[in-house]
Amino acid sequence: MSKFFYFLFILLFSAQSAFAQMERKRTITDSPEEVFLTMSLITMATSSNLAANNMNSTIMHNFGLVSGGLKDFWGLDNGAAVRLGIDYGITDKLSVGIGRTSREDNVDLRFKYTVLNQMKSGKIPVEVSIKGDIGINTQEENRFDFTFQERLNTFGSITVARKFSEKFSFQVAPMISHFNTVVLEVPNQQIEHTHFGTGFGGEYRLNLHHSFSFEYYVVLGDRTPGTLNPAAVSWQIDTGGHVFQIFLMSGEWFTEQHLLARTTDDFFTSDFRIGFNVNRVFGL
Amino acid sequence: MKKLLSILLFTCLTVSGFSQSFYTETGTAIFYSKVPLHNFSGTSNSLIGLINFDDSTVDFYIDLETLDTKNAKRDKDMKLTLDTENYPYGEFFGKLTSEFDLESTAEQEVMVEGVFKIHGKEKEIIVEGTLRRDGENLYLKAGWILLLEDYEIVPPQILFIKVDQEQEIEINATLTIKE
Repeated sequence: MSKFFYFLFILLFSAQSAFAQMERKRTITDSPEEVFLTMSLITMATSSNLAANNMNSTIMHNFGLVSGGLKDFWGLDNGAAVRLGIDYGITDKLSVGIGRTSREDNVDLRFKYTVLNQMKSGKIPVEVSIKGDIGINTQEENRFDFTFQERLNTFGSITVARKFSEKFSFQVAPMISHFNTVVLEVPNQQIEHTHFGTGFGGEYRLNLHHSFSFEYYVVLGDRTPGTLNPAAVSWQIDTGGHVFQIFLMSGEWFTEQHLLARTTDDFFTSDFRIGFNVNRVFGL
Repeated sequence: MKKLLSILLFTCLTVSGFSQSFYTETGTAIFYSKVPLHNFSGTSNSLIGLINFDDSTVDFYIDLETLDTKNAKRDKDMKLTLDTENYPYGEFFGKLTSEFDLESTAEQEVMVEGVFKIHGKEKEIIVEGTLRRDGENLYLKAGWILLLEDYEIVPPQILFIKVDQEQEIEINATLTIKE
């Protein structure tokens, strides 16, 4: 008889379960980490990419060296440069962009392709992306009559990054820059068309809206004499709609090929300039 | 004894095996945030739902990570605001409180009462909508207004974020007979 009641209990319990809530199951069981807030730390491309059909507009701005002091209002009175750019996510892994820098009227076209996404599950521990940039010096030149080919400058990098915690991300980026034309500014100067280097950069997030980032380019092998490794530090403010970056940088340029080959100021002796970037992402 | 067992077996099979229930995993849930110059909406096409006419239960949920506002940055902020890591679902469980004629193919207005839960908070709500039976399919349209403060959802209070306290929720789904 007891078996019968046991059987009855099971039956009733099974029947009862038909009225219960469905078991909740996650539709998305794993997703990529957001390794960095923006596509660039300050000037150096991060491993992070734009989502499909999103457009990022960027205004980059820097001034003269702060070492001028009050006389030129810590650089704000001179040497201003601007790069205006837009990038568009064709897919979640591929973005293309165009920008124009006021220095030498350099127009650059670029792409970034995400090879690997760091996954929240830990299945893939790093984010890897490759970046290419080709710039065209469109400035009118009185001394020479450059062909289109001679005006080109190019850059390529492979970035490997990891979000180590909710607070900290770090990346390493082997890179190469090449200028089809380099101009001797000093007689018998040994100037290089090609520079190899490695970029190091990171982001430390204080809270939801504030973070610090840094970048440091190290030139490896032969380099144009008088050039130095560029460095920069930035305070980032994420307002929800925009990401503002207020920074100090030793380089004058915003494009990595120029920074690697043509930086002559030393960040570590306070030869840096104030600048700011404004990033805004639109969904299209 | 045999008679009793037959009755029990019949009862259970009636409840679980031949129940009039309809199910979907591909329903659509949309929310609209309407603030002048800051209008946006978010969509999930992974609404999972079950309507059981035997006991009148209505059970729907979405994984909030599937919501897409067409702007990755806004998606990230929204998921942080909803704390989807700790509260991954938006879910409703309730009962049909109006009659529905399963034999009719006409669109019929229905009402459900139950509990909606999101962000770890729940509230009893009444939802009005329509159902239409067409063979093995059951077409559902419903909607209600969700007040963020009812669920202690606080959008980031910083410069450019504009989110309406009243979020219009819209549900569309085609459910099929559950075997």
